[in-house]
Amino acid sequence: MELVDRYIAAVQRELPEDKRQEISRELKANICDQLDALAEQGELSESQIAAVLKQMGHPAQVAWQFVPPSPIVANEDISLFKYTLYMVLGVLFVLQVIGGATQWLGASEGSLLGFLLHIVHGFIGDACFAFTVIVLSFWSFSIQGKSISAGCSKDWQPQQLPKVAPSWQHIRFSDVFSDLATYLFLLMVIWSSVWMSAEQLAARSVIFSVNVQQLLQWFSPIILLSILNSFWQLRRQVWTETLLLTNMGINLAYALFLVFLAFNSPLLQVQGSDLNGLFTVQQLDKWLSHALLVTALFPSYECIRDLLRWRKLIAS
Amino acid sequence: MTSSQLVKMRLELRRGVLVLAVLGLLKQPHYGYSLRKQLQDGGIDIDEGTLYPLVRRLAEQGLLDSEWRQAEGRERRYYQLSSSGAELLSQLTEEWQQLNGALAFLLGQVTDENTEEN
Repeated sequence: MELVDRYIAAVQRELPEDKRQEISRELKANICDQLDALAEQGELSESQIAAVLKQMGHPAQVAWQFVPPSPIVANEDISLFKYTLYMVLGVLFVLQVIGGATQWLGASEGSLLGFLLHIVHGFIGDACFAFTVIVLSFWSFSIQGKSISAGCSKDWQPQQLPKVAPSWQHIRFSDVFSDLATYLFLLMVIWSSVWMSAEQLAARSVIFSVNVQQLLQWFSPIILLSILNSFWQLRRQVWTETLLLTNMGINLAYALFLVFLAFNSPLLQVQGSDLNGLFTVQQLDKWLSHALLVTALFPSYECIRDLLRWRKLIAS
Repeated sequence: MTSSQLVKMRLELRRGVLVLAVLGLLKQPHYGYSLRKQLQDGGIDIDEGTLYPLVRRLAEQGLLDSEWRQAEGRERRYYQLSSSGAELLSQLTEEWQQLNGALAFLLGQVTDENTEEN
């Protein structure tokens, strides 16, 4: 009987405290009945008792069958859970880029690698915290047996469903949030003179030339328009004709502006001290000019891609 | 089909039927082991790890009444259909008979088609 007691104790350990006594009492009664039936054929050896207990199943498995574990997120809430997670992580990424950019631009010797590491490090910390909070919120509903999205599932109408669309027509959250982060970063760089202190501004060894700075500031309304467009994409989540046309226009403006900027030398100018002898400002200017031309390829690609998609959409 | 697939499908197929069988047997009071014996004698082999938790869940849902009784020098928990359990059993029995009839017809058709093909 010692084996039976050990088995019951092992099952008990896996059970919630309020159910331990009752379930173990019942389980023991059932096991004893089974052993009694076997004992009618002769005295039971320890190996026979062990075989009966083995047949019952592992103590943890038996405990799970008596009290099935409740899922952290209810099945019907999984899609809402994923949606919430993507949205929150996206917003945190954008905020992290803003914070990182502020620190990087404000530092006198900020390296690009340091800037990227700051974003990654900060984002991982924030993401872990956000993930925990979201999981706990959904879990609190799950343990109460409530479903957050239960109300939505009853009031739907077939007529409200979106039209059948190819997979490319669905806008990905990751794309929208990376676009938003880029636009906000650009705005912060262009308008750094507004939010940075005079000491921070004076500490920078290389700055945009006056001409380029002015061009960038004139371009700011297009960047603001891009931000609004990203919010519109988040709201619609599907590429429509209007959205494609707007996106095409914005990307075309970016491509033309970047090419125009690339041929507007000088792009940079030295402020105060020299560049520690590593590079000359002319070299940096040349590299930046090439980088701008390469960068212009991305909006150009998106512009052509959206044109093809738009033609496909109006043809269907 | 692999043997693991067969095991999984058989489990799924038996899960619902098992509830019906247990409710049907518990028109008379039974304790865990005697219920299992009755099921085995009736041709339904079920392991203890599945049956005992199932009976408890049915009791928690109010479909079974239970009481502890002393018998043969040992305490046992006896289960029996409650009034709502009896009501559910009659509905499920009707459902099962309809389903069984439909399935017998459908499976009969499949068997006939196979015979014709051969």
